[in-house]
Amino acid sequence: AAAMIGGLFIYNHKGEVLISRVYRDDIGRNAVDAFRVNVIHARQQVRSPVTNIARTSFFHVKRSNIWLAAVTKQNVNAAMVFEFLYKMCDVMAAYFGKISEENIKNNFVLIYELLDEILDFGYPQNSETGALKTFITQQGIKSQTKEEQSQITSQVTGQIGWRREGIKYRRNELFLDVLESVNLLMSPQVCPSPGQVLSAHVSGRVVMKSYLSGMPECKFGMNDKIVIEKQGKGTADETSKSGKQSIAIDDCTFHQCVRLSKFDSERSISFIPPDGEFELMRYRTTKDIILPFRVIPLVREVGRTKLEVKVVIKSNFKPSLLAQKIEVRIPTPLNTSGVQVICMKGKAKYKASENAIVWKIKRMAGMKESQISAEIELLPTNDKKKWARPPISMNFEVPFAPSGLKVRYLKVFEPKLNYSDHDVIKWVRYIGRSGIYETRC
Amino acid sequence: MPYLGSEDAVKELKKALCNPHVQADRLRYRNVIQRVIRHMTQGVDMSGVFMEMVKASATVDIVQKKLVYLYMCTYAPLKPDLALLAINTLCKDCSDPNPMVRGLALRSMCSLRMPGVQEYIQQPILNGLRDKASYVRRVAVLGCAKMHNLHGDSEVDGALVNELYSLLRDQDPIVVVNCLRSLEEILKQEGGVVINKPIAHHLLNRMSKLDQWGQAEVLNFLLRYQPRSEEELFDILNLLDSFLKSSSPSVVMGAAKLFLILAKKFPHVQTDVLMQVKGPLLAACSSESRELCFAALCHVRQILHSLPGHFSSHYKKFFCSYSEPHYIKLQKVEVLCELVNDENVQQVLEELRGYCTDVSADFAQAAILAIGGIARTYTDQCVQILTELLELRQEHITTVVVQTFRDLVWLCPQCTEAVCQALPGCEENIQDSEGKQALIWLLGVHGERIPNAPYVLEDFVENVKSETFPAVKMELLTALLRLFLSRPAECQDMLGRLLHYCIEEEKDMAVRDRGLFYYRLLLAGIDEVKRILCSPKSDPSLGLLEDQAERPVNSWALDFNTLVPVYGKARWATISKCQGAERRGLELPNTASLAASGPLIPEEDKERVQELSDSGALMLVPNLQLTAEYFEKTWLSLQVAHQQVVPWQGAVHPDTLQMALQVVNIQTIAVSRAGAQPWKAYLSAQDDTGCLFLTELLLEPENLEMQISVKQSEARTETLSSFISVLETVIGTIGDIKP
Repeated sequence: AAAMIGGLFIYNHKGEVLISRVYRDDIGRNAVDAFRVNVIHARQQVRSPVTNIARTSFFHVKRSNIWLAAVTKQNVNAAMVFEFLYKMCDVMAAYFGKISEENIKNNFVLIYELLDEILDFGYPQNSETGALKTFITQQGIKSQTKEEQSQITSQVTGQIGWRREGIKYRRNELFLDVLESVNLLMSPQVCPSPGQVLSAHVSGRVVMKSYLSGMPECKFGMNDKIVIEKQGKGTADETSKSGKQSIAIDDCTFHQCVRLSKFDSERSISFIPPDGEFELMRYRTTKDIILPFRVIPLVREVGRTKLEVKVVIKSNFKPSLLAQKIEVRIPTPLNTSGVQVICMKGKAKYKASENAIVWKIKRMAGMKESQISAEIELLPTNDKKKWARPPISMNFEVPFAPSGLKVRYLKVFEPKLNYSDHDVIKWVRYIGRSGIYETRC
Repeated sequence: MPYLGSEDAVKELKKALCNPHVQADRLRYRNVIQRVIRHMTQGVDMSGVFMEMVKASATVDIVQKKLVYLYMCTYAPLKPDLALLAINTLCKDCSDPNPMVRGLALRSMCSLRMPGVQEYIQQPILNGLRDKASYVRRVAVLGCAKMHNLHGDSEVDGALVNELYSLLRDQDPIVVVNCLRSLEEILKQEGGVVINKPIAHHLLNRMSKLDQWGQAEVLNFLLRYQPRSEEELFDILNLLDSFLKSSSPSVVMGAAKLFLILAKKFPHVQTDVLMQVKGPLLAACSSESRELCFAALCHVRQILHSLPGHFSSHYKKFFCSYSEPHYIKLQKVEVLCELVNDENVQQVLEELRGYCTDVSADFAQAAILAIGGIARTYTDQCVQILTELLELRQEHITTVVVQTFRDLVWLCPQCTEAVCQALPGCEENIQDSEGKQALIWLLGVHGERIPNAPYVLEDFVENVKSETFPAVKMELLTALLRLFLSRPAECQDMLGRLLHYCIEEEKDMAVRDRGLFYYRLLLAGIDEVKRILCSPKSDPSLGLLEDQAERPVNSWALDFNTLVPVYGKARWATISKCQGAERRGLELPNTASLAASGPLIPEEDKERVQELSDSGALMLVPNLQLTAEYFEKTWLSLQVAHQQVVPWQGAVHPDTLQMALQVVNIQTIAVSRAGAQPWKAYLSAQDDTGCLFLTELLLEPENLEMQISVKQSEARTETLSSFISVLETVIGTIGDIKP
């Protein structure tokens, strides 16, 4: 079988079992303990997210300080089990927010209910949050009305697994979030190729929250290069106007609801959305990425006991936009004895426990520049080992999509009900966050 | 992990459950039940309150019902008699008007693992299969598999199987997928669910309606289908094309695998598919979902084995970021090592050099080993980088560099000169056994080119008393004797001291024996020593062999998208081999009190099974019944797969032989009487995959050898050789018993 899961366990960071659900006979109680001893309590770093103990495979993921482990004895498909664990985390998060020890303990009954529905005999069953809501009775006693009962029946007999029929909203609303994470690896200022982009990519997701009545047909358009060029054949005018702004998508994947045949032939994205939140599309770009920040580090060694560090950050986007939650992390050597920092903007602190200077700026507009200088005093050591300078990393959030992706339209049609595209209230938001954003120095 | 005072907890909860005030207050009642489940989660034995929990199942509160059913499924095997009391409530719930209640009850009832439950669940399952709510049908379909598992290896219910096959046409996608899973389990003995043309085409048409789990599962089942014609094959591939772009990486990989298998005779299609999944795989490799990224990297490595240039232009994607988890970095280093070519070698080496000074010693060593791997092709550049690393004088770096050098001079003798120049001074920074052995080996074999070699070895000889590793001492003996051959004047004295120490004072027997051996060898004359010790100093052909590792795609296509690329082929082989033995009843020692099932076979049999399974992945089935006619027919229709002779003395005692063979599950079909000339015997055996082994034993008069001829119904070399080794062992043992 592609994914037969014998058991699912959830632990806190100490290795205490918070949830344990066994689906198959071949997984015994001893498996629960084996994982704690061999992985959670192990001294070394995790060498693989798939650990084999006594011929049993443990697939584990960690969320904050919670361990989730899927256990099996079969030769399953690893990607699938991990996707299932992620899905489970998503479903849980949709019910109670962050996956933390407290939330898990408080929602312990709910989690057992979920585990009962999404896996049967170890096989994944329905895992769409929207559809699951029908089966999970969190509020306890709920004498079901006739209507609800018929909903279950229609939901599970319908042709479309991800949406039930008969959904009604007074206000038809749509929220579209373009969420991107921009990743960068820059070469150091002093090297054969100074200050160059070694690799950069954006991985993005289009997340939609739909509150629409009936069975609406949606059509989504963006500034995808291929589409723009296709359309450009008709009107040369538009090509020159929008051609520059189109983006080249390296690869993209869609939620199950999107008709792939239409995407392949016309590159148009049309679908009947699930109710509530779902991920419409996931994509990746590597060309013409707008790097929101540039980090220019200068490190000078003054004798054997002192380092001078100067880091300049430049924001590289429209002056009218504001970046938020900016954090620059400048690593310091292990034998640092003291640090003096001067920064023009924000607050900077030396954190000895993390071996780093952490510089935080709440907000910064585009096309600005800011700098920090630090003097690092070092203890003289006999260690001849040269300090391998770890890269300077950055975190931030910007209100645009670093890939350049723009939503051109999102149209809704519901032929059977009497509301039209104009009646739907639509919200679009762009958020760009830093992924791994590192500059070597 | 039973807590202290768990008995008190059981007592207290029992009291609370019986308390009528609690029972009257729904919330309080549910709270107490929750506490029972909490204790159960932590591993406390809560079977003591079974009776009270059964009573709690009769409620309208669905949450409470779910909790109680969860409890019952856990403890039913321990309290089968009490569990029967719950059946009544469950049966009633199975005909509840609410489909959710029906489904829940049926699912729980089928999960009660206790003897005798079958007769109660059969009817509800049959009703469930025809329920109008697909939610119930999904449960009922899997219930069939659960029921079959409870029966053990009983007969397959033909009517039920037919019903399940017809439910493959159900309109609910999950019912369809569950049917496949259920049939697969029920028909395991017969080779699983049959995917014929109508079923395959039906599934292909339903694919887009399934969710990602269903799609991945169906793609896996379709592997079993053989298209009749080329035309049909390409139709199928066209239909499945869009799944190579699915949002779920596992569906992409599942589809890729199916393509690779279906197109096994069309290498250009295979290459094309691998091109198509390149994008999704690279995306997964740079995804924020680290575990998925890990799985993708493992598969990238698998593809690189056949197509080393496949990802070469994307090498920068595999550069490590500082904050990535350890396991991803290690995989990326391996990938970099495998995709290197003329264009990117400079940049890749530059990058790897940076990793060698990483704070994590583990990661640094992996990077050094990777450079050593690349050095087999780009020797000069790599040796230079490695030499520079020695200047850092870091113990954890020096030891791995020296080990890399040792392997390198063996494979690429042209770098010997450079390595020899780099070695002096290394001894100061090596403390571990592996590193010392490598250094000493190099000094011994190539000592004539290293001016200070005798002095370095002399240091080791001086300190031999405090040396903790016997392996280092053994290496030292050999190295010094070798060096003595090329530089006798400088070594003679210390060789004498070392031999004296090893023979007179050393406690480790292996070291002492080695010392004695060399001492006696020296007594036999210097020519004899040279003959024994002057073996070749390198073997470049070994390096070439490794380069030829480019394997055809078909050699790993079946392993794609399984655990094999994740664990590595060798490790998976050991894991799955043991699993084979376990399937026959070898349970892990169960530390907790909750033993799910008792041992299936008596102790002494277990040992036998273990022994057999250790002699190869072969499992011979006991009590094979073959008629002489059938044997003769099969024997005549097959070619001899293996023939050999084993030494034999004296006459044969047919009874002894027959009994000995019986022990290892080889049956005797016909045998000549004792003393007949020529003497013959015909044997048969069958392994767990159904492969027959037919054997003829022949003893010619006056001959001291027995001729063995084996025929096999299916050509499988690995099981054949295991079978022959079993046979040899038996005949060897019997042959030794002289009359």
